[in-house]
Amino acid sequence: MCPTVLGRVQTRWAILIIPAIIWTIVSLITQNPSYIVLIGLYFVIGVALDTAFYPFVIRWQPPWLTFVLAVGEFILVYLAAKSLKGIHFSSDWIPIAVYWITWVIAIWTKVVILPLVSLSWIEDAGEFRSTSWSVAPEYVPLAVTAFTPDLGEGGPPPLARKFSAAVIEIPEELRRAPSPSGVFQIPTGPPPA
Amino acid sequence: MPATAPRDSVVATVGDGFGSLLVHTTARYLGFENEQLTVFGPSDNPVGTYQQFAYNLGQTVLRSESESHFLAPDWPTFAQLDAWSHKSLRPLWRTIRRKYNPGVPEILTEAAVVMRRTGWEQARIPTKVGWLQRQMNPTPHFVMYDEQANFIGRAKHVMLAPGHGPLSFPPLLAKARKDPALADRIVQAYEPKQYAAGGRYIVLGAGIASVNEWANILDAGGSVLALTRNEQPETQDLNVPRCLFESIGIDAYTRLPFDQRIEFLGQVLRGTRPQRRQWLSRIQTGQQEGRFDAIVGEIDKIEPGRAGLRVYVKSKDGEDPGWLDVTGVTAGTGFNKSVLTLPLIRRLVEFYKVPVIEGRLRLQTNCGVPGLDLPESRLCCMGLIANNVIPHGDTIAGLKFISRRFVSDCARAEKLQRRSFPSRMSLQFSMGRDVAQALRTVSPTQQLA
Repeated sequence: MCPTVLGRVQTRWAILIIPAIIWTIVSLITQNPSYIVLIGLYFVIGVALDTAFYPFVIRWQPPWLTFVLAVGEFILVYLAAKSLKGIHFSSDWIPIAVYWITWVIAIWTKVVILPLVSLSWIEDAGEFRSTSWSVAPEYVPLAVTAFTPDLGEGGPPPLARKFSAAVIEIPEELRRAPSPSGVFQIPTGPPPA
Repeated sequence: MPATAPRDSVVATVGDGFGSLLVHTTARYLGFENEQLTVFGPSDNPVGTYQQFAYNLGQTVLRSESESHFLAPDWPTFAQLDAWSHKSLRPLWRTIRRKYNPGVPEILTEAAVVMRRTGWEQARIPTKVGWLQRQMNPTPHFVMYDEQANFIGRAKHVMLAPGHGPLSFPPLLAKARKDPALADRIVQAYEPKQYAAGGRYIVLGAGIASVNEWANILDAGGSVLALTRNEQPETQDLNVPRCLFESIGIDAYTRLPFDQRIEFLGQVLRGTRPQRRQWLSRIQTGQQEGRFDAIVGEIDKIEPGRAGLRVYVKSKDGEDPGWLDVTGVTAGTGFNKSVLTLPLIRRLVEFYKVPVIEGRLRLQTNCGVPGLDLPESRLCCMGLIANNVIPHGDTIAGLKFISRRFVSDCARAEKLQRRSFPSRMSLQFSMGRDVAQALRTVSPTQQLA
């Protein structure tokens, strides 16, 4: 996927809706707003990264990178949660669990729900456009890696010398090799009854 | 049982290949009924032509990745279906590293399931469209005739999916193929063919078809001299750079003037191939055994010889290899890209004066045919003829990209009552289940990446 900045932000917003609803309910039940504040923090840090960092370092995002980014975001969210005074949990494990439960729900939303909501969401670089022939904001060409078979220096390669018609004798096996075409093959078996 | 002509429909697809199946699947997914759709074409198998080419090429896996298959949305992906059907995490592990390519038998199996579930065959008129007439009254629509000028149906919106033109050969080889003494020694990668142990072969080109043939010859015990015109072979996983598969690239590409698009296409489509570990190891083994070499040059002369053919090879740089005795020449030179090789398109060009530049239709940026396409009655193109708008138009991903937008245009024009989200989800679950069940009967194809 080659997401745009808008695509990243729209996708993040869409995948955090379900977790936000769940943790709002949990906050109301437990009378502890830290759950929903933590999700808000995750969203804000995520959007900051989506707009100011990822577009400059990632053009094409392979699937494996999604998990790597999640680990990085977890560290940032955890450190921010620890340093903010408004977030209190009875155990350090709770924000860790909240983050990873949120991430699992978000990734399922991204993989299963969003492609069903919008047929062209992936093709539209993570943006929610109507499925149409629209225009994207930027174009980023991708580099290709060069691969060239080893070419010998100093004249034709050894195999070309071996193939050379200047060789007086050619092996009997080669003389007998059939032509490669299957198009011109003549059936050799008995004719059909 | 196919349908019978004449048949009137809302959306018609002219062509019976991959594109027709993808338009049909997408239309059914969005909410069109089978009675509103028609496919025109003589083949009862939308993957038949591809299957034959893949067999001739000895192709075992697609170049495409996990999203390129025949279900309308991007979930489930093919790797997920494969993992589900074989209860294995291996396809998922490969796909997150972008090392998963659907196997040919598996993708053909899926196509058969999708075809059956969506009623593709019941919507097919087993006739080739020979002529298409634009009518403006009482509402804009198209009238279709077969190649004998018999009326076969009408449709409000039409997708032209005629597939590739004929196989292409370099001029010298095309001429030599007309000589009965040489004809059976010169083959195209996509034709049926055989290689002999001990045989010597020249393979032209360095694209995916040519590399397949290198591997096939080495596997058969023959020797390969790979001949390319330029020192340009590059590897890229897909047939155009990745971001050109998505709007970020496609829209920037579409914004370019037509001439620049053609020039750009020439650069990005120039004989690339994916990096495949299995191929590389076979070629390296071939090199070590003295059975593989590469040279930059061209065949200058060709005549009958002691081993079958006598070929004069001119080197681009340095000393010419000169006259070579070889068993055969295989051309991995693809298909003729001119739209004028497609009879229906040629007739449309001649009659409606559709603009053609260097063999390419100058399509609108929505793949519409200029002068015939209207928002309320679309005439759209897909496949290779549309790659001057969608650069990967002839890949499964490109066909999907065009199908989705074309069918969405039709749905908007017809004010279609779209399928609800729960209905879409349930359709995907049941289609995925059926495909996974069918895949269980297929032995997993070895991955090459």
